[in-house]
Amino acid sequence: MPRALACFLRGLGKSLSKPYLAVALWLMQLLIAAVLILPIGNALHALLDRSPSGEKMVAVPDYGWWETVRRTHPDVLGNFPEFATGLLSPEGIKWSEIPGMRGVGATAFGLALLAIVLHAFALGGTLGTLREPSASLVTFGREGMRYMPAFLLFTFPAWGLAFAAYQWIYVGSGEALRLRVRELHTEQAALAVTALRLAATLVALAAIKLLADAVRTVWVARPDLPPVSRFLFGIGGAFARPLRLLGILGLYAVTTAGLYAIWLVADPSAGGEARFALVPLILTQQLFVFARLLIKIGYYAGVSEALTRAPSPEYSYVAGAAPAAEAPEAPTVP
Amino acid sequence: MSAAKVRVLVLALGALVPRLSAQPFPPPIASYQITCRLDPEKKTLDANEVLTWKNNTSRPAPTLRLHLYLNAFRNTLSTFWRESGGEARDGKLPDSWGSIEITRMTGPDGADLLPAMRFISPDDGNPDDRTVAEVILPRPVAPGETISVALDFAARLPRVSVRTGYKDDFFMVVQWFPKVGVLQESGWNCHQFHAWSEFFSDFGNYDVSIDVPARYKGKVGATGQRVEERETSAGRVLYRFRQDGVHDFAWTADPSYVVLEDTFREAGLGDVRLFLYLQPEHGAQAARYFGAVKAALSGYGRVLGAYPYPTLSIVDPPWGARAAGGMEYPTLITGGTPWSAPKSILRPEAVTVHEAGHQFFYGLLASNEFEEAWLDEGFNTYMTDRVLRATYGSNRVDLDVFGLHFPLGIEIHYPLDANRRYFEVATWDVLATPSWKFRSRVSYGANVYSKTALTLATLERLLGTPTMDRALRLYADRWRFQHPTTRDFMAAVNDATGADWTWFFDRTFFSSGVVDYAVAEAKTTPAKPPRGLFERDGKLVPDPPAALAKARGWDSTVLVVNRGDVALPVDVVLRFENGHVYRSRWDGAGRWKRFRVSAGPKLLEALVDPDEKILLDADRTNNGLRPEEDADLRAATRWTARAVFWVQNMIDFMTVAW
Repeated sequence: MPRALACFLRGLGKSLSKPYLAVALWLMQLLIAAVLILPIGNALHALLDRSPSGEKMVAVPDYGWWETVRRTHPDVLGNFPEFATGLLSPEGIKWSEIPGMRGVGATAFGLALLAIVLHAFALGGTLGTLREPSASLVTFGREGMRYMPAFLLFTFPAWGLAFAAYQWIYVGSGEALRLRVRELHTEQAALAVTALRLAATLVALAAIKLLADAVRTVWVARPDLPPVSRFLFGIGGAFARPLRLLGILGLYAVTTAGLYAIWLVADPSAGGEARFALVPLILTQQLFVFARLLIKIGYYAGVSEALTRAPSPEYSYVAGAAPAAEAPEAPTVP
Repeated sequence: MSAAKVRVLVLALGALVPRLSAQPFPPPIASYQITCRLDPEKKTLDANEVLTWKNNTSRPAPTLRLHLYLNAFRNTLSTFWRESGGEARDGKLPDSWGSIEITRMTGPDGADLLPAMRFISPDDGNPDDRTVAEVILPRPVAPGETISVALDFAARLPRVSVRTGYKDDFFMVVQWFPKVGVLQESGWNCHQFHAWSEFFSDFGNYDVSIDVPARYKGKVGATGQRVEERETSAGRVLYRFRQDGVHDFAWTADPSYVVLEDTFREAGLGDVRLFLYLQPEHGAQAARYFGAVKAALSGYGRVLGAYPYPTLSIVDPPWGARAAGGMEYPTLITGGTPWSAPKSILRPEAVTVHEAGHQFFYGLLASNEFEEAWLDEGFNTYMTDRVLRATYGSNRVDLDVFGLHFPLGIEIHYPLDANRRYFEVATWDVLATPSWKFRSRVSYGANVYSKTALTLATLERLLGTPTMDRALRLYADRWRFQHPTTRDFMAAVNDATGADWTWFFDRTFFSSGVVDYAVAEAKTTPAKPPRGLFERDGKLVPDPPAALAKARGWDSTVLVVNRGDVALPVDVVLRFENGHVYRSRWDGAGRWKRFRVSAGPKLLEALVDPDEKILLDADRTNNGLRPEEDADLRAATRWTARAVFWVQNMIDFMTVAW
């Protein structure tokens, strides 16, 4: 754990030292989400601006208003809320709900899938930039494009494996055990079964993620090796340091959860105008997203630290740079 | 012996007399003396029953009709299975079968009645349904005559999926004995067991002995008062329960029960002993159960009159047997709660208040649950909402996270928010429809429970709460221990108010029409002087008279429309600057009504039904409008910002694992 912590902290340090990476990811996410600003904003303005109900809605969502809008405007959200809450249910997501998604809900779901693809680009850019001593946003774009084809090849199988793990382990076990769970003597026993199913799913998802991240990290770190070797080195790296990687992932999860806990406790949206006016609220929201991205990049940098601290032997696009064996942070004394 | 000692002795003797004999219960029509023996391993009951039945009509009765409800679970050919499609409230019905077989039946003179028994299906003609049996008597029972019929029967209980049955050692034994139908002047009222209807029967006196294995000692609860507990054969124990003036009998047994006792006591409403049969894992919720029952006995009792029985038992079903929960029987109710139940989510409270409330709407006002289910479920939902609102305020939206429950910061207000399911299917059925003729279970629930509750809450707001309470009390007093109908309630409302409210019930109970008022237009513009030609000194001149030339104030126009099918009288309020308010009442006739105010103060907003009286209004988001220039962008802008923020987080989450 101390090594995992050290790697994670070093990763966070790198993330903080290159904040433009978080800025780039934040911009990408914001622009994807911005697709929904007009449809959501226009619909809400049409419904609320001249309605006395709007007064009640500034601070707290009014249950009656939302129920009515969902019912009278089925094309806005469709059954997206049911689909989303299915993720938290003991039964798991009902994939049959997907055809029922419409309007903004369906668009949000589609955008999230698009984000998975763009993530391949962003991750290539991030890992590539983290390994270069003197990097910039240009490096991010260049490295992102450079690794995108390969990373897409990793992203889709990883996505497919994650989907399969969720479906086969969590949803499948839920269906298989449904009747037996009902026959358990207490609800606490049933909750324990759900917790075990969830834990098994999370372990599988974590393993898939760590394998995929290890392969991608090595892929960027060792361009000198042939593709198959890089892939195998990545797999080997994950198997060589499983606890360290798992520790980094755990620290990432805990830190992110802590950030959400702070958000929930602080609840800057509460109280209408009392706590935050609109502009400060939006700024706070975006600051939160930015902080989350800093941690996320810190995680990837941490994994990179754990697997290979040596910089890339090849800076193919950096003029005058030679493959360096020494640590890039070492200052050059004239 | 001194006078004081005599007085003490008299009081003590008085206390020993069972309280039930002192209650003003009605003359019995259908009374039962039953002895049953439970075999927990085989999940069966062997029992004998003596039915004492009085023909309370003016016509001779040549037949008897009996409910054999457990046969609904006999096979997939029963009407219950066909109507339900194998689906219950909590999911698929298990392949666990129940049945009831009468093995002996003799009449008053010892005649064997079994050969004269046949199964009938008066509702749907299903030849495979075995839930109603008709017996041709050797001779008709004369009006006012009482007969006794002795029966032996064997019952097999199903795995609990709809109210009745077992789960492991837990038993909820309800609708379990041959039960006579209700003979009315028009003939027998004895319906089959349907997928989404309940029950109907006559009042009588019950004396039931229950023989169970010794491991159930102290863990048996039932309708009425326990009058005997004794060990019988080796390893078994017998309980005897008695209750007069009820129309059903249910019992439960579970070795896991933690049995707790409390007393409801309120001046004018008497004392009631409360027994809670609680699952050990719900131990922390005992006070919540008791609190809810007390709130119900107090809230209902003050409006409808005191609960007349000395006991009330609350059963908390175990995990995996929740289908037994949320049900009412005379002096015994079943609740239901999850292990994690934060206090702001009224999980045991709402169902407990509701089921306890059924002691009034169903228990005392024993309407026909098959044919007019709204009279018990709907009226009870209305009163439940009143009691919950008065006792707990509001409920919270419940987020289920892998089986754990967390309250969200979104309030569910009673009665409107709690009954919003009605609006989803508002036009599917007329409320006043027999239970088994609704389009679906969803429509049954939405109309019978929610629309009725909203209709009565609307009526309360139109009449005023004191007048509504007078009407309810009149209805309850007139029909206590009887079988009231919708017309009887309407008569009580008319009598209590001194007005004819039939039109209201025609548009609500007897209609599937939707109510939807809206403010379609709200404009206010600075008043302008008139233009054109005006008379002055006998001539037409282009300048208006001096009094009109200088325009003052604002011209405002408001258009209120009725987008629904049903017209109910509704208030319209126009709010102006400087606190000016114009209030008017529109009878809802026609599709629209326009309000014009010339040279008045500036209009701030127009509201239709500003006091939320018409709770049946399907869309309240259109019940108010501000003029264009007074639009308030805050709510929409903040929610747009939140939506974008959520999408950003969702994107981030979706890109975590890969």
